[in-house]
Amino acid sequence: MKKTLKPSDMARPSDCLCHIEPGELSPLPPPYEDFNQVTVPPLKLEKVKNIETSLDDTVAIGIPKPASKEEEEKLVRRFLSGLKKLFEKENNWTFLQPLLLSMEHCAKCQTCSNACPVYEMSGGKDIYRPMFRAEVLRRIYNKYLKPGGKITAKLTGDIDLNWTTIARLAELSYRCTLCRRCATVCPIGVDNGLINHEIRKLFSQEMGISPKELHEKGTVQHLRVGSSTGMNPLAAKDSVDFIQEEMEEITGYKVEIPWDVEGADILLLHNAGEMLAWPENVGAFAIIFQAAGISWTLSSEAAGYDAVNYGLWYDDVQFSRVAVKHADIARKLKVKKIVIGECGHAHKALTVIADRLLTGDLNIPRESAMVTLEDIVLNGKIQFDPHKNDFPVTLHDPCNVVRAMGIVEPQRRILRKIAPRFREMTPHGVENYCCGGGSGFAIMSGYNFAEWRNLVSSRKKFLQILTAFQGEPQDVPKYVCAPCSNCKGAIRDIFNYYHAEERSRLYYGGLVEVIVNAMADMKKPIIQFGEEPSWKS
Amino acid sequence: MGFYILSYLCIFVFILATGYRVYRQITLPVHLRWEVYPVQHETTDKLAHSGSYMEDLNWWEKKHGSSLFNEIKYMVPEILFIRGLWKENRNLWRVSFPFHFGLYLMIAAFGLLVLQALLVLWGGDAGQAGGAARSLLDGATVLAGWTGLILGVIGSVGTFCRRLADPELREYSSFVDYFNILFIFLFFLFAFLTCLFVDPLLEGAKAYVFGLLTGGGSLNSYVPGQSFCGGAAIVLASLLVAYVPLTHMSHMFMKYFLYHDVKWDDAPNRRGGAIEAAILKNLALKPTWNAKHIEADGQKSWLDIASSAPKEMK
Repeated sequence: MKKTLKPSDMARPSDCLCHIEPGELSPLPPPYEDFNQVTVPPLKLEKVKNIETSLDDTVAIGIPKPASKEEEEKLVRRFLSGLKKLFEKENNWTFLQPLLLSMEHCAKCQTCSNACPVYEMSGGKDIYRPMFRAEVLRRIYNKYLKPGGKITAKLTGDIDLNWTTIARLAELSYRCTLCRRCATVCPIGVDNGLINHEIRKLFSQEMGISPKELHEKGTVQHLRVGSSTGMNPLAAKDSVDFIQEEMEEITGYKVEIPWDVEGADILLLHNAGEMLAWPENVGAFAIIFQAAGISWTLSSEAAGYDAVNYGLWYDDVQFSRVAVKHADIARKLKVKKIVIGECGHAHKALTVIADRLLTGDLNIPRESAMVTLEDIVLNGKIQFDPHKNDFPVTLHDPCNVVRAMGIVEPQRRILRKIAPRFREMTPHGVENYCCGGGSGFAIMSGYNFAEWRNLVSSRKKFLQILTAFQGEPQDVPKYVCAPCSNCKGAIRDIFNYYHAEERSRLYYGGLVEVIVNAMADMKKPIIQFGEEPSWKS
Repeated sequence: MGFYILSYLCIFVFILATGYRVYRQITLPVHLRWEVYPVQHETTDKLAHSGSYMEDLNWWEKKHGSSLFNEIKYMVPEILFIRGLWKENRNLWRVSFPFHFGLYLMIAAFGLLVLQALLVLWGGDAGQAGGAARSLLDGATVLAGWTGLILGVIGSVGTFCRRLADPELREYSSFVDYFNILFIFLFFLFAFLTCLFVDPLLEGAKAYVFGLLTGGGSLNSYVPGQSFCGGAAIVLASLLVAYVPLTHMSHMFMKYFLYHDVKWDDAPNRRGGAIEAAILKNLALKPTWNAKHIEADGQKSWLDIASSAPKEMK
């Protein structure tokens, strides 16, 4: 019989509150059945002896264990102080109204659980229910911060507050990808993803607790050095010089990538990770913009060549600092608009969320690259030969572009024009499933977190991809178009983990690569399937 | 008269509590955008694929179009028939729909009773018994009342049993969750028994509502308080009216804010506009977050902090 866990169990002493046994994860179809008994590998004891690991099989943050009872109590007090601040306008005007509404009106109907890919793929583990962590926070708030809460808690839902509860809650906030599928299905409009986001903020903004990939190596490095990749402006320029040369070598197309052009129509913001991991994406953008005669530029100012904003996932203050920096760079360059490249969270961060932060001359128009590219491809600015893309293509919808911004059709209209064997995943559009790497997961790989991601949070996406190509012969190369750097990172990892290239000939890449691959005057293909070119020159 | 005093007090609590909830919402600071698509007031061409105005090239050069018709087309079946639950959680809908629809019909029946009382008081000839308007209202009231009571009894029993029997719901339910459903069930039960045994045509209910509007005036010799079930129904209905806005059940009307102020709040910030003015006010607020990297000292504003890079890591 399945062991159920209640929110109050978060305070219960246990070495591991929730463990996934072999065979409990949702099954994968052939030829991947050998993964069905695989489970998250155990944490290495010598690496985790001083950190909190009592939630489940993995660790995302690695919170040091308090040295004494006094320290534990101090941390509990700090947590409560942070919780109080979440409900104050001075500290949390950014999300106070959405938080209050979601905290006060949940009917605990569990409709959200059915929509959550992490909960589903885990085999229905209670702690991964979207409302589980929200209910833990709600109970703590009602009991410890509301007048008379300790009495009414017996009637409204009790929970004990100790260091274990808090450490587990911090970890649990990093088992949700913030895809917000749960929010779209709630009949009342409650957003458990938002509550999860607020839990992360409480820990970061009050207690300085967050995954190092998001904070020290993420926003702090971004603001200090210029990019979360660690590239300073000089290194970024070097990378782009290299990309220019590579593009000519790969495609035979000579491209000039402009830097710091004052008064250009477009400031293009790439996720700097593209320059290192997927340089062909940066090159393909340059080819398209050059071929279409667009007036555009990159910025070499620190942070201006990296569109990411990890603050979106865990810290409003860090988010604001990065967003202001991006806008200020565009203001100084006097560009007409900022176009966000293929990076989902950067889309949402700068276009939607920062919209209620940027004022005056910092409020520079911002547009998704999907829209800019659609105008180029569909309005005849470049000639195409769609037959060059004669391979099966499916489209992954990045949650931040689609569900959070409603940019659904431009990328589809492009693919319908230039990829004759394009097919949709099921479901798709705003009902899509997250790649499993959302909210920072794609760049988090400490301890055994990458294995947990590949096995649990990315599993649904892998199943969707396999289903989209069902019926295609095994030896035919298949392309997953994922117009988002984080999504590509997560998809790259699942393809490697499940040996999907060898077993199903699955490949992945961005949208601009598919566009360049179909350009009529391109001498050589930009898309390769391993060593095999996607078309013969 | 005791029943009337209780009803007046409960209505007063309802108005106060609801007013407080609404006032708090409308005075909260403008928050960052957090909409989720589909946004149902989008124009028809966009809504067809759940898209947004941000799909348009240079969208900021165009007027932000929206469609009230599309919003209403979505909201009416959502409110009346709980369409979202039908789509996403059909098993729960089977008990939740009669429960909610029963409550709606009770509200509708009450509204019709108030209308009847107003007709009697100020309707002249139209308010005379046996007239076409009165007959029509009588029929509609009886229909709404009986249907609502039957659905309500079935729905509340079903919802209670479902919450108790389904481990998915049971493990997350508190005493109050059961109490709320039981409370509503008892109201439905006593009102149903009153109609069944004493007041099948809701004449007593009509008289009571007339009394409510006239400070105790009576239309006929029978009022529900004369029977135990009728008295219990009045007490429970009055207390329920006061209780709902004090609990999460206020989602009945607070859903408006959940949808319009968060889920569908896609209004862009234009230079020199009202949203920008609200943001400037927010940016002047002084946070006190304690993590070192925030560098908040209670004196620096959000604007100061957002314009600076952190010196500390943690």
